Amino acid sequence: MTARIPKFPGKELSSEEFYGNKVTQVRSRPDARYAFSAGEAMSRFLEELQNGRLIARTCHGCKRILFPPRMFCEECFRPTDDWTYIRDTGTIETYSVSYLDQDAKRITEPILVGVVSVDGASPKMGMMHYFGEMTKDQIHIGMRVKAAWKSPEERKGSVLDIRYFRPLREGEA
Amino acid sequence: MTFLERTTDVRRLRHWDVDMSLDYIYTSGIAGERFFRALRDEGRILGVRCPACKVNYLPPRMFCEGCFTELTDSFDVSPEGKVVSFTVAHVDRRSHPLPQPEVYAFVTFRGIDRGGLIHRLFVPPDRAKIGMAVRVRLRPKEQRTGTILDIEGFEPSASQD
Repeated sequence: MTARIPKFPGKELSSEEFYGNKVTQVRSRPDARYAFSAGEAMSRFLEELQNGRLIARTCHGCKRILFPPRMFCEECFRPTDDWTYIRDTGTIETYSVSYLDQDAKRITEPILVGVVSVDGASPKMGMMHYFGEMTKDQIHIGMRVKAAWKSPEERKGSVLDIRYFRPLREGEA
Repeated sequence: MTFLERTTDVRRLRHWDVDMSLDYIYTSGIAGERFFRALRDEGRILGVRCPACKVNYLPPRMFCEGCFTELTDSFDVSPEGKVVSFTVAHVDRRSHPLPQPEVYAFVTFRGIDRGGLIHRLFVPPDRAKIGMAVRVRLRPKEQRTGTILDIEGFEPSASQD
């Protein structure tokens, strides 16, 4: 509806009519499955996640440590050079307190998501993830965090091999 | 980095599996609702008449294509029709081979100027002919759900029309 048009022509259906099968309808679910390749750098990244480690690529041109790893440097336009392990601790770069879940459904307990700059990689290099063991009032930009890993048996080479990032505890490095 | 430093063991390459959950609910609309309710509840096939152009449509639609008059004047269509065109399918919708080829026909009905119905034609492929007289075969009432599948298909009819 707009300021000039208070109501569009046509018949609006209520959810009851729509989902309660009150109007005739055709339902279908296409079998839309596909697989896409992770590629050279991401394959190694996922493999190392399964091993409980984070890996990056170094570029000898700009001297940066690229994370997540990539096979080509977007600054220097040249292939990157070496693999290097980085730490599983970092700093919250930015975050959101989300009252929508992955399917955009409204939820009452918010989930915390954001970007972590990972220690050992170049500044501002990081990954997006969930945050846990903290409340929406405690989370802040600059907070020091550490990956909470799943057990080795549960890990399967996915970013979700890390459950979430939790606050770094006293004495942890 | 040389070629040999790259991953040469394909088992070490990973991929993501994705299953897109796309659910469609496609409602029949106002004219379609009348058509499918009459079909489901009473086994009738409805056409609609444009009073201005004197054109009869099947299936019914909301507005006349020629003059945009709103169409409300529906009438019963005889279940006896004529094959205008047909095709023989050897694979199903997912491209799997069918055990027996199936015939699909476009059928028009007496009194209808525009439109018709496309459905299964229950004859062996070599017996399908353009111009053959056919009859609508409905599903039993308790199996009808208000979709085009409430019509099972067409079968040959003795009618000479």
